[in-house]
Amino acid sequence: MNKIRKKRLVSVLALVSTSFLGVFLILSALNSNLDYFYTPSELMEVEIPQNKRVKLGGMVEKNSVVRNGTNITFNITDYQETISVSFNGVVPDLFKEGSGIVAYGKLINNRLVAENIFAKHDENYMPPSIEISS
Amino acid sequence: MIGEVSHFFSILASGLFFLSFVFSIRTYSGNHNLEVLVSRVFSYGFSFILISFLLYVWLAIQSDFSIRYIAEHSNKDLPTFYKISSIWSAHEGSMFLWILFLAGWSQLFNYSLSKNDLLKAPAIGVLAFIIFGFLIFLLFTSNPFETILPIAPTNGADINPVLQDPALVIHPPFLYLGYVGFVIAFAYNTAFLIKGDMQINWESVIRSWSLAAWILLTIGISLGSWWAYYELGWGGYWFWDPVENVALMPWLAGTALIHSLYVSSRSKVLRGWTILLSISVFSLSLFGAFIVRSGIIDSVHAFANDPQRGLYLLAFSAVLITSSLTFYVYRLPQLVSKNLVVAKSKESFLTINNILFAAAIFAVMLGVMYPLIFDYLYDERISVGPPYYNTIFAPLTFLASAFLVFSVGSLWQRSSKLFFLKSFLSMSIIFALIVTMFSVYFYQEYQWWFIGGIFSGFLILIRYFFLIVDSFMKKNYFNKSSATAHIGLGVLILATTLNAALSYEKIINIKPGETYKGDAYEFFLIDFDLINESNYDSVQAKFSVKPIDSPKEVFFMFPEKRKYFIRGQITSESAIKITPLKDIYMTLGDQLESGYWVVNIQYNFLIRWIWIAAAIMCFGGFTALIERLRKS
Amino acid sequence: MKNLLRFFILIIPIGGILFFYNILTEDKFYPGASFKNTSVPQFELLSLQSKSPLINDDLNNEMLLNVWASWCITCRIEHGFLMKLKSEGITITGLNYKDEASDAIDWLNLYGNPYNYNLHDLKGSLALDMGVTGAPETFLIKNGVVLVHYSGEVNQGIWDKVFLPIIQDNEMFK
Repeated sequence: MNKIRKKRLVSVLALVSTSFLGVFLILSALNSNLDYFYTPSELMEVEIPQNKRVKLGGMVEKNSVVRNGTNITFNITDYQETISVSFNGVVPDLFKEGSGIVAYGKLINNRLVAENIFAKHDENYMPPSIEISS
Repeated sequence: MIGEVSHFFSILASGLFFLSFVFSIRTYSGNHNLEVLVSRVFSYGFSFILISFLLYVWLAIQSDFSIRYIAEHSNKDLPTFYKISSIWSAHEGSMFLWILFLAGWSQLFNYSLSKNDLLKAPAIGVLAFIIFGFLIFLLFTSNPFETILPIAPTNGADINPVLQDPALVIHPPFLYLGYVGFVIAFAYNTAFLIKGDMQINWESVIRSWSLAAWILLTIGISLGSWWAYYELGWGGYWFWDPVENVALMPWLAGTALIHSLYVSSRSKVLRGWTILLSISVFSLSLFGAFIVRSGIIDSVHAFANDPQRGLYLLAFSAVLITSSLTFYVYRLPQLVSKNLVVAKSKESFLTINNILFAAAIFAVMLGVMYPLIFDYLYDERISVGPPYYNTIFAPLTFLASAFLVFSVGSLWQRSSKLFFLKSFLSMSIIFALIVTMFSVYFYQEYQWWFIGGIFSGFLILIRYFFLIVDSFMKKNYFNKSSATAHIGLGVLILATTLNAALSYEKIINIKPGETYKGDAYEFFLIDFDLINESNYDSVQAKFSVKPIDSPKEVFFMFPEKRKYFIRGQITSESAIKITPLKDIYMTLGDQLESGYWVVNIQYNFLIRWIWIAAAIMCFGGFTALIERLRKS
Repeated sequence: MKNLLRFFILIIPIGGILFFYNILTEDKFYPGASFKNTSVPQFELLSLQSKSPLINDDLNNEMLLNVWASWCITCRIEHGFLMKLKSEGITITGLNYKDEASDAIDWLNLYGNPYNYNLHDLKGSLALDMGVTGAPETFLIKNGVVLVHYSGEVNQGIWDKVFLPIIQDNEMFK
């Protein structure tokens, strides 16, 4: 094999092996950073290891919001099952009873200790003269 | 009536664009008469779509609520500025704006490109085809001209108060201008590939256009980030949201493109890469439009839509992407240069740069697609969040920085010795190491990304410092635009790293008359004000803040909570105090029964520097563009 | 080697296109449609026009429950289709959402009334319990069970793809 061919072969091999390595690293990073999303019903069915972070999505149950200093507890429901959630901090603007939210955190003693709360963007309208109960 | 006229002009424009495309098919063989016709018919098409859009703007200003879209997104009481911007607040109108910009960029190209350019007519034809396809999409599936008759509503619905914001208003136009600007490179390259004449110097044509689009896209993305920071109340500037990611990918490809173009135009190598990149940028923009408008991704800002629209967009994008790629693959053997890239030459480093950018694009694409694939295969919903993206991006950025710094002293088509003892590179490495060790010790931060980020950022800045001083003293030429843009990159890396490492927040309970003593500031809650504006009521907290180190320089902060009448929506307006090194970011939470309020105080270090860095990069791009325009 | 590369460059986008095509044409894929199997929550509301009290038992066994309001522009647009459904014999009960009774009645008088009657949900409490976040939204109720919750305007296309298959299918949709 002449010199140029050899050089080419080496560079192609180097390229291919670094590509494979790169792809492998990317995929493993992906796999170790997946967040699973559950509705309350789904969460009740599945066995979640108590220390894994999950995303829980549903509606904030009416009359379930309790504030205690900077801490807030409430229930997330999908109108079939309900899960209790606690969170320390300022909740997003769109958070209110009856609104759709996603809480992200760990399940500890069957309650979700949320690190983050995301509220669903409500695209629809409400009339001016009605008071919102909050 | 005006609505019908505007609609009619759009229909006429589609016809003309279609005609321009049809004529262009015959011009590949060099039929000169047809070439002039292609260009002229296109110009008329542009004028008509422009007239149509301007009439539509008039309809919005006049609050013509017989037009369904205007009724659904605008309101009599909105200021004129927001009546106009309501046009691009949802799917149909923003699609219309997108098409207008496509036509605008293309017409500028049509006007300024010499008629002697062999590829002009074919490229215009491609552009015409693209615009025609989108216009058909608009008129048939997403008609902004649809009417509510026979009785028009007397007033429209209000747009989300969150949308009534100057930054949010200009963010989509800049973003679209950027995305869409890369269509020129796409069209010209596709025409080149179809024609197959390898002698044509396409690089020199598309360089300026790509640079201009890149600058606008960078501004558009930065505006979105800045808006998200002050408006959304989380104090973050990038969330790796699918919609952000689909804007990032064209930007990554576009950045790689302008670098690859630099190489291809000088050394005639990497032509294969460059054309692939130019096809990719516009393809990724199409992909982005599809993802956002098809309803596939359920994200905070996706437009909820009908699968019919998604299918059309998919089909049209498929036609554009697969046909251009087919021609690319067909011509690839002829494109690839017979010359090898010399090791350790500038070309070699830029090749590696292309590879790193391709890896980044791949990683982001995987992050976007994986949840979809997973859901499809296993019927389970997962999401991919910041930890994944940060894990991937940090090492890629550090690698790219290293190769950037190697490339600074490198030469075209020749190797050079870079690592010798007293070289600038070696000195830069040593200085950067010293600064890094000092920072690690000073901040007690031992995380790998902190070390990598500080080292990479300073390495870039120090290396360029040497370059500038050395060139100045020896009165040598150096590429000032590239230096500026890369210095911007160095600043960006440092700012994001330090921001991540040093920022923190405190959540407190406080009531009027109380003081909270933080690490560097004392926060005294004076009282609350109740404010009544025409479209909202608000509760505003009045804080006086005293820096512990300089008690004389007291300032005030007013975080508030607003309730808008039309929507009943409650929003928080955060109070932000900008200081040179950090932002103090206060958000008012809820009131507790005891009269206490929850308040969140964030200290965001160097966050302004992130956007300053983006501005520096844009400025570098801008000077490069001016330089090129002056030369031609 | 080169040929392999060329193959890859083409196959990846084509694969992506086919994948998306598959998703978009899935029967279940309809943004805004949520398929359920729940009962209507307990409520006590007044009828919009007659002001008589209404409870769960007053609801028909098979019907559409349409959430609307006079302030909702998209409801205006949906209205024409609802009138068409009424003429085809479909029973539609309205859930008048966060609306002043006088405004709602005026609206019906002006444009026409596709509803057999309306539940006047001034505070939106029943809507809240049913997971409503805005208007228009439509529920398909069969045998007293809520089978579909659709958020957004119902038109012929949506009706054909989302509602009809369930109306015509005599088994419960999973």
